[in-house]
Amino acid sequence: MAPSYFKKLRLDVRKEWDLYLMLVPGILFLLLFKYTPMYGIVIAFKDFNIFDGLAASPWVGWENFEKLFQSRDFARVFRNTLIISVYKIIFLFPLPIILAILMNEIKNMIFKRGIQTVVYLPHFLSWVIVSGLFLDLLSTNGGLINKIIVGLGGEPIAFFMNTSVFRTVLISSAGWKEVGWGMIIYLAAIAGIDPQLYEAAKIDGAGRFRQIWHITVPSLVPIIMLMFILRLGSILEAGTEQILVMYNSIVYSVADVIGTYVYRIGLGQQDYSFSTAVGLFDSVIGFILIITGNYLSRKFLQRGIW
Amino acid sequence: MRHKTSFLDKLFVASNYIFFILMGVITIFPFLNLIAKSMSSEAAVISGQVNLLPVDLQFGTYSYVISDKLFQSAFMNSVIVTLVGTLLSLMMTSLAAYPLSKPRLRGRKIFVLMFVFTMLFSGGLIPTYLLIRELGLINELPVLFLPGMISVFNMLVIKSYFETIPDALEESAKIDGASNFRTFLQVVLPLSLPVLATIALFYAVGFWNDFFSAMIYINSPDLKPLQLYLKELLASANNVFLNMEMIDIDRAMNVSPQAIQAASIIVATIPILLVYPFLQKYFVKGVMLGSVKG
Amino acid sequence: MKKTITLLMLIAVMIVSACSGSGNGGKTNNNKESAAPTNNTAATNAPQPTEDVLAGDKPQLRQLQPFDRFDPNSYITAKFLEEKTGYKTTYEMLPEELPNEKLNLLMANQEKYDIMRLSKEQFFTLAEAGALEPLNDLIDKYGANLKAGIKETTWAAASVDEKIYAIPQGGTGIYAGTTLVVRQDWMEELSLEVPTNKDELYEVLKTIKAKKNVIPLTGQLSVMPEIAAMFGITSNSWIEMDGKLVHQAEHPRMKEYLAFMNKLYSEGLIDSEWPINTGSVAIERFTSGQAAMMSLAWWSAPAVVNALNRNFPDANYLVIPGLKDEQGNSPIGVNTGISYFMAIPKWSTNKEHAMNYMNVKLEEELFKELVIGQEGVHHKVEDGKYFPILPKFDEELNNASFFLTGVDESVYSTYWQARVRKDPILFNYFEELQRLAEGRFVIDPMSNAPPIASVSENSQKLSKFSNDTYLQFIAGTASLDTFDSYLAQWKADGGEAMTKDANEWFSTTK
Repeated sequence: MAPSYFKKLRLDVRKEWDLYLMLVPGILFLLLFKYTPMYGIVIAFKDFNIFDGLAASPWVGWENFEKLFQSRDFARVFRNTLIISVYKIIFLFPLPIILAILMNEIKNMIFKRGIQTVVYLPHFLSWVIVSGLFLDLLSTNGGLINKIIVGLGGEPIAFFMNTSVFRTVLISSAGWKEVGWGMIIYLAAIAGIDPQLYEAAKIDGAGRFRQIWHITVPSLVPIIMLMFILRLGSILEAGTEQILVMYNSIVYSVADVIGTYVYRIGLGQQDYSFSTAVGLFDSVIGFILIITGNYLSRKFLQRGIW
Repeated sequence: MRHKTSFLDKLFVASNYIFFILMGVITIFPFLNLIAKSMSSEAAVISGQVNLLPVDLQFGTYSYVISDKLFQSAFMNSVIVTLVGTLLSLMMTSLAAYPLSKPRLRGRKIFVLMFVFTMLFSGGLIPTYLLIRELGLINELPVLFLPGMISVFNMLVIKSYFETIPDALEESAKIDGASNFRTFLQVVLPLSLPVLATIALFYAVGFWNDFFSAMIYINSPDLKPLQLYLKELLASANNVFLNMEMIDIDRAMNVSPQAIQAASIIVATIPILLVYPFLQKYFVKGVMLGSVKG
Repeated sequence: MKKTITLLMLIAVMIVSACSGSGNGGKTNNNKESAAPTNNTAATNAPQPTEDVLAGDKPQLRQLQPFDRFDPNSYITAKFLEEKTGYKTTYEMLPEELPNEKLNLLMANQEKYDIMRLSKEQFFTLAEAGALEPLNDLIDKYGANLKAGIKETTWAAASVDEKIYAIPQGGTGIYAGTTLVVRQDWMEELSLEVPTNKDELYEVLKTIKAKKNVIPLTGQLSVMPEIAAMFGITSNSWIEMDGKLVHQAEHPRMKEYLAFMNKLYSEGLIDSEWPINTGSVAIERFTSGQAAMMSLAWWSAPAVVNALNRNFPDANYLVIPGLKDEQGNSPIGVNTGISYFMAIPKWSTNKEHAMNYMNVKLEEELFKELVIGQEGVHHKVEDGKYFPILPKFDEELNNASFFLTGVDESVYSTYWQARVRKDPILFNYFEELQRLAEGRFVIDPMSNAPPIASVSENSQKLSKFSNDTYLQFIAGTASLDTFDSYLAQWKADGGEAMTKDANEWFSTTK
């Protein structure tokens, strides 16, 4: 087994050694900046004191994880995390794709470029600012949306204090902020499609929608698959930064996620062990999902990340 | 052969335009609001009188922001880091993506997994800080672009794109005697302009927007990048509390007015917004046109 | 395939052990090693005259400061200090966000600072970790001005077991910060008298709502000091009752206060968006005419008054003097604590010079000029009071307090008042507030407490927990029937431990 393997390795390396050479800088970078600090993961299994250092901090095994799983509200925040994350995937993942396809149908170049530059603007605003904007928009004291609702004969809605609609607020604001930016990568993919395919289709009599369905969409499958699998990897990150600035105790029951909960119970304590443990938990789940996603993708779509 | 444009088709086109106009409106209004605030009087801003147009027009905020020396140095820092970082990153990332896009590469699965693994697992802040310290990069400008030189996500996107380039194109170069590296440079890269432009944009925006690295690794005020400067400017309004009971009254008196905050945001964001229109010309269809012979 | 993995892992392990070997191992040793030589240096220096250590060129000092948004290294005060003291100091700042995390990183890696300006929390953490140099000897030898200018009680707050670990800076004086203000024109229009207690407040708010259809009272705090004071709740943390320390959460009338607020909320007498408001939203509502009453802090007064007058030129605000409880008392809780702690890390190589530098800054003339500049140029004196000369005062002294490393408590509060006098609106409101506050101050008994482990670990998290729960009670999303179970949880999560330890310390101060 071993000798023949090495023979194969050497053969390829001799013929295509420059291919491996091209890989060397990247791997070196990876090893240096990413893998050298990787030992820090053990902080999750220790009672870490930054001043004593890693070696001198006592080993506590699964204690930090138990602290997480047995914490009073863990079940609730775990549930919220999954729900919000899944909602975001269902509603917000397809949007940039659809928008990119629609944008591709715009033929006026000036309009196209102009709108593209505008719709990605919200991506550049911090959540602090975006949160303030939505608070203002959805306020019951003069906010635009409620003015419209009342004008149409309805009762004003306290969006930020209503447990039934708050998740919608979270998802909508996240969508508004990121959809324009998310479009860019799909637009780039569409730009790489060979126009001759469209020509040939037109000659065969295919209309606009058939062209989209048979040419545009299939060409997007690789990038969609990549984006989706990677998105799964962050399933336990339901938007902590956003939720931290937008939530309040009135809506904790529906909006408190793992990230925000851990932040609150860790206030003023600098418990690195605990936060590392939580991060490790997120990572493990995410990694499992990515591996699974890639496996399924290879099985049914004959392509994967690796 | 002409195809008839049906009524349905015309309707679709019209709705499409209208839809995007609406999208444009709802995404641009907060910027218009910010611009308006930046040119209004403080009294009008804090009492919520400013919507889409400036109230009590004034430009003092902009001259105030731009003349702040700290702003100027932060701006320069960001420009340098973004330019150098983007160039470096684009080169390194596409270089690594190419071999990984070749299924025949022995060990490909392992290498890709090695990259993907780091997307999820990390040693954390403390060991990374130690490493940066050992490398002598604390409080040095390169720390703002070196550790972020290869984003695995960006690498995977480029790799995915490379995988869609027909083998035939590369084969013809090989037949002419080109090495892998030359094929990469002279055949693959020119065909990949859309994805390279996209990733250049992603890197540029990533470097421009990053404040976290500076927060942790930079101590000198004059090495701060723009977004960190901005974040701290905005937050100073909420951060006059020393602890739960006490307020730093001197800082409380110096809180930066909202109009100035708005002007700072505009000035810090405009530069990076100019990158996309600049790169849009690379998003041109038909880049592959004519490259496939027969 | 397997061999490739093994090879790569070997490389990784080698790199890892190389780095962690030098990094962590060395660090742990350094911490212990630096302890020994320092003590020796102090011991050998003790019998020798001061001049020897401080003789020769003055070294460049490195100072770590909390976040502020100007560049101290190019500020005029920095140059002034260099000129007058002969010490060139370079300043570095902690970030605005995660400053404690960064500080810990810097300290764990023994970053060579000579002076660090720390918050209470940061001081506690570092003192406990053994990162700070005990300053008793240094103060005795080189800190005469500091000793004279800072009171015993203040020193006590920076001491643990008789060892002083930082130079405490307090001394701005005891001031009232906020009071309720209401639209004078509306009060006159409705012929309303300024309320003086709970019931009158209720009636006034009710009338305003009925007749003007605006938000009667806007705000955002879960425990609003002006209203909570009517129930005897005078602090965000500790209150002395019957010789013992009681935390605000366990105050016997907390439930009553919450019930009152809930009543106001459900009747629409306070802002319906109270739980989600921020300070700037309250200001917006008041200045745009959407709300009649708010709690105004004196540092916000100029901006608010200007905005109000811009929109309603004939409007003005009326100050509501303290609302009284059943006994006619209207206490104002204040904290006389330390704002900043100046510490010297154990591994600094310029400890004597650092102490000397901080001491020199307290020399009478220098200190005065540092804080309020030169008479006739930056300030003038009238009736023993200091008034700023604008715009020079703002230009050159606005950020001067950033550079303070300890103050002469006997004069600082008088000097400091020049800052408040720089704007007439600010000044008038400030003076009025203080006049109304006379005799009403209740000092937080834990103001000058030393570091207590269970208190510093639990206060922030419990405070957040309490505030969150109070907002739910006020908004009515949680019923006050669950108050007892909330309190039980508070106790179990560290509240009981905190109270016990705080009282243990408190009994030693009697």
